[in-house]
Amino acid sequence: MSDAITSDVPASGPAGVAAVAARQAAGTGRGEERPSRRVRSLTADVSAVGEPALWAFGGALALGIVLIAGFLFLVAWNGVTTFWPKPIAQVELRDGTLLAGEPTRSSRYRPGENILEALTAEELAFIEANDGFSDRVLYKTANFDLYGDDFRWVSDFEVAEVLYPEAFHLFEREQWGTFVGRVDGLVIDNQPTAFDYRLMQREQREARQRFRQMRRLERGEIGAINYRIDQQRLAIRRAELRHGAESERGAAMIAAAQARIAELEAEFAIVQARVNEIRDLDRRFRVILAEVNGQTRETELSQIVRFYPANALGLMDSLGIYLSRWWEFLSTEPREANTQGGVLPAIFGTVAMTLLMVIFVAPFGVITALYLREYAQQGRLVSIVRISVNNLAGVPSIVYGVFGLGFFAYTLGGTIDQLFYAENLPNPTFGKGGILWASLTLALLTVPVVIVASEEALAAVPRSMREGSLACGASKWQTIRHVVLPKALPGIMTGIILAMARGAGEVAPLMLVGVVKLAPALPIDQFFPFVHLDRSFMHLGFHIFDVGFQSRNSEAGKPMVFVTTLLLLVLIVAMNAMAIYVRNRLKRRYATAQF
Amino acid sequence: MPEFSITAGQGSTESTVIPNGRRRRLETRRSVKLTEALARWIITCGGLLVIVAVLGIMVFLIQVVVPLLGGGTQTGQVSYALEPGEDVIWVNADEHQTLATLLMADGRHKTFHVPTGTVVSGGAFDFGDAAVTAVSGTLSRDRVALGFDDGSVRFLTLGFAARVTAARNLPAGLVDISDRDRMLDGLVYTRVGTGDFRTLSAVSEPGAISSVSEAPIIAVDYRVGGTVERPTLSFATVDAAGKVRVSRSTVRVNMMTGEETVTTNTLELPSMELAPEVQVTGVLLSGGADRVIVSTDDGLVYRFDLRDATRPVLAERRRVTDEGVAVTSMTFLGGEQSLVVGAEDGTISVFFRLRREDAGTADGFSLVRSRSHPAMPAAVTDLSEAQRQKEFVATDAAGHVRVVNSTSDRVLFEMMRSDDPVEPSAAMIFPRSDGVLLVSRRGEVDAWQYRDPHPEVSLRVLFGRIWYEGYDQPDWIWQSTAGTDLAEPKYSLVPLVFGTIKAAFYAMLFATPIALMAAVYTSEFVHRSVRATVKPAMEMMESLPTVVLGFIAALVLAPLVEEWIAAVLLGFIAVPLGLMLGAFLWQSLPPALVLRLDGLPKFALMILVIGLTVLVSYRLGPLFERMLFYGDFKAWTTGAIGTGTPFLSIILLPLAYLAVAAGFRRVWGHHLRELLRSLPREQAGRLDALRWLVTLVVAVMASVAVASLATLAGYDPRGGIIDDYQQRNALVVGFVMAFAVIPNIYTLAEDALNSVPGHLRSGSLATGATPWQTAMWVVLPTAASGVFSAVMIGMGRAVGETMIVVMAAGNTPIMEWNIFSGLRTLSANIAIELPEAVKDGTNYRVLFLAALTLFFITFVINTFAELIRQRFRRRAFQL
Repeated sequence: MSDAITSDVPASGPAGVAAVAARQAAGTGRGEERPSRRVRSLTADVSAVGEPALWAFGGALALGIVLIAGFLFLVAWNGVTTFWPKPIAQVELRDGTLLAGEPTRSSRYRPGENILEALTAEELAFIEANDGFSDRVLYKTANFDLYGDDFRWVSDFEVAEVLYPEAFHLFEREQWGTFVGRVDGLVIDNQPTAFDYRLMQREQREARQRFRQMRRLERGEIGAINYRIDQQRLAIRRAELRHGAESERGAAMIAAAQARIAELEAEFAIVQARVNEIRDLDRRFRVILAEVNGQTRETELSQIVRFYPANALGLMDSLGIYLSRWWEFLSTEPREANTQGGVLPAIFGTVAMTLLMVIFVAPFGVITALYLREYAQQGRLVSIVRISVNNLAGVPSIVYGVFGLGFFAYTLGGTIDQLFYAENLPNPTFGKGGILWASLTLALLTVPVVIVASEEALAAVPRSMREGSLACGASKWQTIRHVVLPKALPGIMTGIILAMARGAGEVAPLMLVGVVKLAPALPIDQFFPFVHLDRSFMHLGFHIFDVGFQSRNSEAGKPMVFVTTLLLLVLIVAMNAMAIYVRNRLKRRYATAQF
Repeated sequence: MPEFSITAGQGSTESTVIPNGRRRRLETRRSVKLTEALARWIITCGGLLVIVAVLGIMVFLIQVVVPLLGGGTQTGQVSYALEPGEDVIWVNADEHQTLATLLMADGRHKTFHVPTGTVVSGGAFDFGDAAVTAVSGTLSRDRVALGFDDGSVRFLTLGFAARVTAARNLPAGLVDISDRDRMLDGLVYTRVGTGDFRTLSAVSEPGAISSVSEAPIIAVDYRVGGTVERPTLSFATVDAAGKVRVSRSTVRVNMMTGEETVTTNTLELPSMELAPEVQVTGVLLSGGADRVIVSTDDGLVYRFDLRDATRPVLAERRRVTDEGVAVTSMTFLGGEQSLVVGAEDGTISVFFRLRREDAGTADGFSLVRSRSHPAMPAAVTDLSEAQRQKEFVATDAAGHVRVVNSTSDRVLFEMMRSDDPVEPSAAMIFPRSDGVLLVSRRGEVDAWQYRDPHPEVSLRVLFGRIWYEGYDQPDWIWQSTAGTDLAEPKYSLVPLVFGTIKAAFYAMLFATPIALMAAVYTSEFVHRSVRATVKPAMEMMESLPTVVLGFIAALVLAPLVEEWIAAVLLGFIAVPLGLMLGAFLWQSLPPALVLRLDGLPKFALMILVIGLTVLVSYRLGPLFERMLFYGDFKAWTTGAIGTGTPFLSIILLPLAYLAVAAGFRRVWGHHLRELLRSLPREQAGRLDALRWLVTLVVAVMASVAVASLATLAGYDPRGGIIDDYQQRNALVVGFVMAFAVIPNIYTLAEDALNSVPGHLRSGSLATGATPWQTAMWVVLPTAASGVFSAVMIGMGRAVGETMIVVMAAGNTPIMEWNIFSGLRTLSANIAIELPEAVKDGTNYRVLFLAALTLFFITFVINTFAELIRQRFRRRAFQL
């Protein structure tokens, strides 16, 4: 597609307009001399310039650019501002209701008949004055455990007063999402204590330390013990299958495994006791939170991930919170059904899957490109190969997903399970979606990108270099290996990076071959064989889909979706920019490389 | 490219002397030759692997799909006689095809092993002196009702109990009855996958006796409804006097004692007023005991409505066969929505009870013949429904036995009885729909085993209109899963293909003009430096994850468009108009200024114009809505208020403009041109702008006039491409999908335009053509095939796009062109349903068929586009 022959005549507008203007000047002169209609006038009128059409064409391009810019700006703005702490408004409605929350967005609407019927004359007059429209603000009132909802729309005609009291804090909790309200009191080591910001900050930091320690024990050590126990159970099953439970060898293996399980269970009890000890200590430090109407909630301090006085923040405080939220986002696991916390497993999954994909896609793509450029004789076969490449590029990604599920996971994986993982059946090991199958599927999907780019790169290597190498007595493969490939490497890299960008952003096929909303374990961990290619994984793109469309409250997940989107976009745009940079450098290098 | 042969070596054995005195051999080393051959081999294979990949995908998909239409296979048949001379009236079998129980007219019952005919156990019920005159059972066949000649009805249970026996608890002394099963004391042991034994035994219990009539019972039906905790047992009887009675028993189980209390209400239905010579041939009762259907030998069915239990009505009397042809057998399909009627002439038809305006019946419903299955060669003697699928087995007087799937209208299997076909018989489909058991009155048994994994699918189901249960007419429906097991799965791919085309159509409607015009502009009218920045930006857009676009479409754009729909519609008019206005103003500028501002400033101006028109649309949106859509667009789309005139006139405006402009050109065009040529440039520009304005005004008037006429003639665009507004609709999907395919079409089209050789342009410009004329009449026609293939490839992408549609299209598989309603595409359907589909199940294979369809659509589009492009490339090089 890129064998473009660049025009050496600039077909730009100014030249044309100038020509017309000049000709027109000449033409009018001649026209006056010979007014007869039969003589052909040599001038063009305005319609020959096609100005309206030019504007339509230019407008289309402009529209495209405006849309792209608008889209990028929308994502960037929403993504970048999400973590900036917002003030908390206390809104008093005309009917006396009090509510507090972060104003998230506003819109204009036309109140329907059923709304208007229930309004007072005063409110009706307000709407009337506004031309029948009303502005409304969406407040994030949080406190899901108390209200059963996270958000509330407030129309302007309902509002009596809006205040921003300094006592309001925002609490991010491990469970139940955020809390908006005041601190009613602290319980430090079971002693009720009056609220003091510094004290609470200090105690909360310590409580978080304990929390992390507990988590480390539960996830890390207990997780490891459980994993080993499972392995032993599988070993028992394997021994039964291979040697039979009655046979001497089988019985010995089973006995060994059972002894090991008993050991592990003893270990488990010790760790569990330690966890319980810390938990008991942790329960002595609590905080009492009160929402705007005075309802209270008592919770352990360790449950508070972060808190701040939203209406009394300086610029530096805000910046600190902003950065700490970004750090949390990039470095922790998700919580609250993925709508809060971080996306570390998703980043990890995306990167691992993409890298694995490169291992498959790079050789395949480069070999095909070599075949097309260096080995194949132009003819029908090459034409068919090219059609196949284009079909691979054009087949919808979901079809690859279907193929990946049916062929890789069910057929290949099913066979592998029967041969090597019989002890785990009927639970599938490789016979279901997993990171290996996902990356193979995506490799198939992205191979045309690599082929096209590599072909371009190979074509850009000057023929003279090949000829020189051959003339020195190198064989064809030696020429390719030592002359052509090194020169084409940047171009091939471009292709691989583009393929990675494409693969990282693809979601539809992954939904069928191994992406999950919450993966219990990463595909790489400390247990032998360290890389678990059969595991399902999390993915940034699927994370967007899942949080935006399958969580309990898509509104609550929206900020998270925007940030994830921004992250994914940055990742992909960075990869693309890198690819384009490499390509441009390559072009410059070979522009003068003819000798 | 030319082959370069390796020149060294060539089998020569001579050697040269290198200055330092050592002799160097000029022969090519073996290892080099080997590597060379290996590399050639690997690279060629690798290159051809691409073809293998494409074919492999296709073959694999086909291979999964093929069993869908392959039909079933008969896997076995046994027939034997169980002590001839028995008088068999009822048969029931377990779901593993292991045991079957026969009930004889004298009350004896006998359980035998189905594959071999070995009798396992037996017993007898005491019927006293009464003789059985009618028999019926529930859907699961384990509860039986018998009608007697003394007018009483007796209930029995003839079922099976299964439990699992661990291998170590297996009793001693088992007798092998087949290579699979072993028997002891009326229990049959079958080894199952886990190594344990399934243990089956027959359960037979006598039940209550209920005296309902003085006259002999000639037909009976028995149903179980209600819940498991409080079942309602109902039965309908017809006696020799033609009286129809329905009894309902509610069983209440005392929690403390476990004692059952049965309350029975008997209801006598209105008389059917049968002629004396007419015989009742059957009665059917619904599980809820609210419908009774009685058939007669003069071809009529009588339908009673019992929804008001105190006041039963004879709702309908309907002829279901040809005149003088008796109804010989009736049954409900599982779910009791379809009534299957078999007649003396062998015809089998299915009736639905539908609400019809012209029903003329007491309850407004009418029995409608919805399906006619292939007729049996002789009179239908027996119909029996399957327990879990919409299937039934039909037996005819000539001994034919057919298993028919009603939904797909497929005769799944056709068997012949091995005994004398004159003998009456009872047939049943095994509970797992994997075989048929037929027992003749004299105790001769035929058992067929078969396997048909996808009976509910046929080509007609996939692509034709099917009249489904609960629908008013045949239609294309996709509904693969439903709340209950007894629902009919509906596998029509047509709504999905339609959704795919609709989404792609609206996307291409937006994308094609914008992408192509932008490509022409980039390639022909901007400086190379602009192109060098715009092109990579567009290419980058190509790899934007569509999940992001889908998210923006569904959660940001859809609510926004819903809120500002009038402004959005206005924008579609205002942006082009604004650009035109800009163009004509630009023409009126002095040439010196035009020359100075050409290039980037002009482009910036265009962006500014677009920004301004968007702003204007936003401000004037409400006004626009008030003026054209009576103040409420959504209410207007439903047809509740206003007329179609304003909208129609907007749609007609471009056409009207073209017509008026053409007319103008024909009449005054020549004069105007002369005039324009004679004027100085800026004056000519102003005059042209005036001409444009006048044309526009006339066009507006013309379109309003035509639209008013159309409205007067009764035409309204609402109900077609404009209808009820849904938030997630084709407009939003089309727009965002266009956003996804624009970069695709743009880059490919720009490449094609750019590869038009420069000397063609130079030649054209040298003959005095303006750049615009050069672009339109020289460059574009030369690149036409390349541009066309770009559009094709864009379309291929729009057809297969998944995430945007999954997220923003609402996913309702409906078939309407309405731009404001949702849709479901093939790809979205796969993404939604395949993760839940059981491997190798019907839905799984149908979804693979959907994938195959997508594959073929895009395969054709892409191959075609690539062929065109290869041709174009060769031509471009030749030029």
